[in-house]
Amino acid sequence: MNWTKQYPGWTMFGALIGLLAFLWILAIPLSAAPSPIGPAAQQFSEGARITVWLTLIAGTAGVFLGVLGGMGKLSKVLPIRWLCDFYVWLIRGTPLLLQILSVWLVAPSIMPPGIELSDFACAAIALSLNIGAYNTECVRAGILAVPPGQIEAARALGLSPFETFMDIILPQSMRVALPALANNLASLVKDSSLAYAISVVELTMVGYRVQAESYQPIPVFITVAVIYLILTTAFTTLTSALEAKLEVGQKR
Amino acid sequence: MDTPTIPNPIIVARNVDKRFGSFHALRNVSASFSEGQVTAIVGPSGSGKSTFLRTLNRLEKHDGGQIIIDGIELDDDPKHLCAVRREVGMVFQSFNLFSHLTILRNITLAPMRVRKTSKEEAEAKALALLERVGLKNQALKYPVQLSGGQQQRVAIARALAMDPKVLLFDEPTSALDPEMVNEVLTVMRELAHSGITMLVVTHEMGFAREVADRVIFFDEGSILEDTTPQAFFTNPDHERAQAFLAQVRHGF
Repeated sequence: MNWTKQYPGWTMFGALIGLLAFLWILAIPLSAAPSPIGPAAQQFSEGARITVWLTLIAGTAGVFLGVLGGMGKLSKVLPIRWLCDFYVWLIRGTPLLLQILSVWLVAPSIMPPGIELSDFACAAIALSLNIGAYNTECVRAGILAVPPGQIEAARALGLSPFETFMDIILPQSMRVALPALANNLASLVKDSSLAYAISVVELTMVGYRVQAESYQPIPVFITVAVIYLILTTAFTTLTSALEAKLEVGQKR
Repeated sequence: MDTPTIPNPIIVARNVDKRFGSFHALRNVSASFSEGQVTAIVGPSGSGKSTFLRTLNRLEKHDGGQIIIDGIELDDDPKHLCAVRREVGMVFQSFNLFSHLTILRNITLAPMRVRKTSKEEAEAKALALLERVGLKNQALKYPVQLSGGQQQRVAIARALAMDPKVLLFDEPTSALDPEMVNEVLTVMRELAHSGITMLVVTHEMGFAREVADRVIFFDEGSILEDTTPQAFFTNPDHERAQAFLAQVRHGF
């Protein structure tokens, strides 16, 4: 029984506050660092913020897409099942870089006139679609792991199919799906770096620029790597605390 | 079927038919149950007794015939189904308590969702029911922390929280360790005297003989005997019933 398991609520709170504080003050220690890091502190801090935003937005949207997709894949309605199968097949079968470029290139032509998507928005959409497809499979596995007796009991008590899903199936499936979803989130933190291809200035892009100007790739990339490690640590602490919270009532 | 006509029956099953693929689970089953009656349904495994019980709240859809519960016909109309399930409680062989919810929440969930009872009212009632089944101090535990017998008593309290007119028991003691059977039977005995309509699929012949007003013997998907416990246990009409009794009598 470690600290995370004992106080999951506090751990989640701490990880979140820690993440925000880190983003907030990152520029201060970095600016004290020698060149080439010091002069670019503000850029690194800005890049880390963009990376976190991309991760949070795509991570959240991805969970919703995953739940919808997971439900859809188990739907009794054949066209819905086909649609979800097609979605997962398409996204898992193509490179993420290609997906980001596609959204970026296609978006202007399909958006109604007057609405323009920023590069950041295009990256967020592409990343959401990508992680959503992977989440779909995790959620589907989670739903299938809910014992049928739980669903029968809910139905026998008079709960509607919707209430049964929200009150019983979803919370129980999340217990099973969460470790896999957390895995996808950790990947997403780093996958968001591919947004550089459509000139979103996130952390990796900052590092690339700074080393190109300073010709000192080693300290720059070490800095970038350390920042990524801190970010992924915060995110995985968050998800493992959530896991511990959902574990209540489980046999250990 | 030579069922005597019963004044204002709460459950009427007419020529109910059910197949699972090529297996004919229920063959033309007809029976009526009056309010307050306690019926034990017995028979060898695979005889259709559980299936019959499960058609009464449509956990299994019947293929033919008619089932009317408290004046409402069970058919494809979701409104009818909802109304019936509100009035018919069910207790399962494997308890099926919601594993992610506390004991208290297990009991309050359906009244709050389906009957729109306020939280305070639902909790007060849940605690009263827990007291009735002798588990008041377990309210904040999770199902996994309780023994099988305790879980089944909670499951009975959960069913009672909806104020059902009918309670269906599907082999409520079959999954229990022998020393826990009695605590559940005690609760059921108390319920039987409270005037609620009970249908109990059971292998507990002692319970059937002592508590039931009526015994129905299923064999190969049809009702072979439908009589008083007295008549059934002392002098069954059919050879199959005699053979069945000879088999189960070894126990006592």
